[in-house]
Amino acid sequence: MRHQVIIAGLGDTESALEDSRSIPEMVLAAVQTALADAGIDYGAIDSVVTASVDLFDGITASNIAVTEVVGAVMKPETRISADGLAAIAHGACQIWSGAYETVLVVAHAKTSMARYQELTQWAMDPIHVQPLGVDFLTCAGLQARLLAHGDAGADRRWAQIAADRRGRASRPLAPASSVEEILASKPVALPLRQGMCAPMGDGACAIVLRGAATGAQGPVLRGIGYDLEPHALGDRDLTHWHGLERALQRACKTAELQRAYAHFDFAEPSCLFAHEEELFTAAVKLREDTEISADGGLLAACVPVVAGMSRLATATRQLRGAEDGGRRALVHGTWGPVAQGQVVAILEGTPL
Amino acid sequence: MRPAAIIGTGQTDHGRCRDDVSQPELIREAANRALADADISPADVDAVVLANMEMFEGRALPELWVGEGAFANRKPCLKVATGGTSGTSSCIAGFHQAASGLFDVVLVIGFEKHSEGHTQTGMALTDPFWDRGVASGALGNFALSISQYMAERGVTREQAARVAVKSRRNAAMNPHAHLKDANATIEDVMSSRVLAHPVRLMDMCPQSDGAAAIVIASAEHAAKLCSRPAWIKAAATRHEQPYIGDIDRRLLTMRTLRDAAQSVYARTGIREPLKQLDVAEIYEPVTYAELAWYEVLGFCAEGEAGRLIEDGITEMGGELPVNPSGGVLCANPVGATGVIRVAEAAAQILRRAGAHQIDGARTALATGYGVYAWADALILGSTP
Repeated sequence: MRHQVIIAGLGDTESALEDSRSIPEMVLAAVQTALADAGIDYGAIDSVVTASVDLFDGITASNIAVTEVVGAVMKPETRISADGLAAIAHGACQIWSGAYETVLVVAHAKTSMARYQELTQWAMDPIHVQPLGVDFLTCAGLQARLLAHGDAGADRRWAQIAADRRGRASRPLAPASSVEEILASKPVALPLRQGMCAPMGDGACAIVLRGAATGAQGPVLRGIGYDLEPHALGDRDLTHWHGLERALQRACKTAELQRAYAHFDFAEPSCLFAHEEELFTAAVKLREDTEISADGGLLAACVPVVAGMSRLATATRQLRGAEDGGRRALVHGTWGPVAQGQVVAILEGTPL
Repeated sequence: MRPAAIIGTGQTDHGRCRDDVSQPELIREAANRALADADISPADVDAVVLANMEMFEGRALPELWVGEGAFANRKPCLKVATGGTSGTSSCIAGFHQAASGLFDVVLVIGFEKHSEGHTQTGMALTDPFWDRGVASGALGNFALSISQYMAERGVTREQAARVAVKSRRNAAMNPHAHLKDANATIEDVMSSRVLAHPVRLMDMCPQSDGAAAIVIASAEHAAKLCSRPAWIKAAATRHEQPYIGDIDRRLLTMRTLRDAAQSVYARTGIREPLKQLDVAEIYEPVTYAELAWYEVLGFCAEGEAGRLIEDGITEMGGELPVNPSGGVLCANPVGATGVIRVAEAAAQILRRAGAHQIDGARTALATGYGVYAWADALILGSTP
């Protein structure tokens, strides 16, 4: 029997187009909130897993910048360069292995410090693709073009998704807009328009994972699964998120759930572009009563790297707030061009 | 903690410039060798952990492009990047993943292609407010600490030179090593050019192109797939404060490595490391550091490291051979360097180390080091 992993505490900074604090200052705020939420102090942390990407931060080993504020001095710290939810996956593995009981997972990024999309070119195949100036946005545009082919209503549907999501957010990083305004917004990689893309900002998120033996209370991380698709766009079926299907299959296996019968009350997808929400729902085959992106999701406010962890934070709040407690949530993260990396987590609330 | 074991290792032939291969091809070379050594196929791999410092090649999220070379396509794959300890920390990450019950077989691959970037530039991209203007990288940091070390412990240039000679002589028996010279002399080292006083060229590790891989299996699979697996008996990581000035006499005290070693020794019943360990593969970025680590790792008392090297205790035929592979001084593809330490320690237990095999090796220590004084320590053994 695998140890149960509890989401014992969470803290995040409010996503902002530009957070005037330094990276360590942002992270410190998130960590202090998460520790207070879990009712523990730094001394209770056995291990830290951080998520960050050096080139986005402009620092070699950007976890050096946060070693002190995450409390990793004279402690184990592992830095995962991927979406924060992948760092959660590794933190859970550390508890499941029996190595540690309490793991602090932290993700951070500051897109205001650099031109994010231009930096993403440096993640593309440097021999065949990068010289063409292709970045993650271009890749998403190519995918959207493929999906819209022969589908005259696609751009209006995507505009509707973006308008809905942004409309339900309390503080979106891009102003709420109507479908018509989104369809008239600046073309960025046609058929994608500015209004269909997640607005990028700065932020940090910290989550405390604890083994059940600690007596911690909170939603249970039942399953984790992740996947890396091939890099070359031509090697992939861009009309489906097969990587997500595989990741979910693995997560269901970990959670000992039958994939075909797994129902989710809440889904928190990481959709950087409106068309990705259609890819998400097709891949996970949600029932109609599943609530998607309760707080507007990434289409309202997105901090790269933090993205999947911010979804976990939202799902945790949903489960904590659910009246009967015993609900299930699907949390999703991606990284790389057209979601090359996919990660999902299955969370369950504690029945009251 | 559930047990897990290393059942195969593979390395590229490391060198200054492997311009015959791309990064994914370099990785594939190591991966193929590790899978062949473990006698398994790519389909048997459940998950992949990569290690690399992307700024050294000027890349972002390199696993996206090189994943195919690592047999990671359509599989769970994560990249660990923690500076110099990336390699050892990725091995520990693979260990935790295999022990978690999530995966049966995990392939860990570290790689670096320094020839495609500029290492000093990468290393200088530190704290923009306090460190970047100094741009000291590894060398300046070591030079400061080593001067303190020599002054306090009486270590001599000649004793340090003996470490370089041992390293190159051992490397001559290692087909994968970058720098090898069976005939290197103390005079060669002491007359090589000064990089930053007191560090000379032959005291310092090189920048190499290379990749290294290990195959880790969960306990049940390890027993099935390998007649004599190298069991990972204990692992520990310690990180440190980032500013050089915050830790007095950092190289001497190296409290992170000391604490990590004490942790793994305690969990494996090691009280006298010099006697109880059969072999050690330690991450020595510079000759003087190997001497300092002898003291920190408990191989000798403080101030006795010079005697240890002079008496040949850590030579191939000595009581505790240290770095039979030639160590970091003879091959340093940073993301791979820590994996090489673990792979070499595992190969000794697996009895597959070839010409630099230590007869009867049953207990091995592998360590990792990063310039910010981060440390990893692992104990491998022939029994679970």
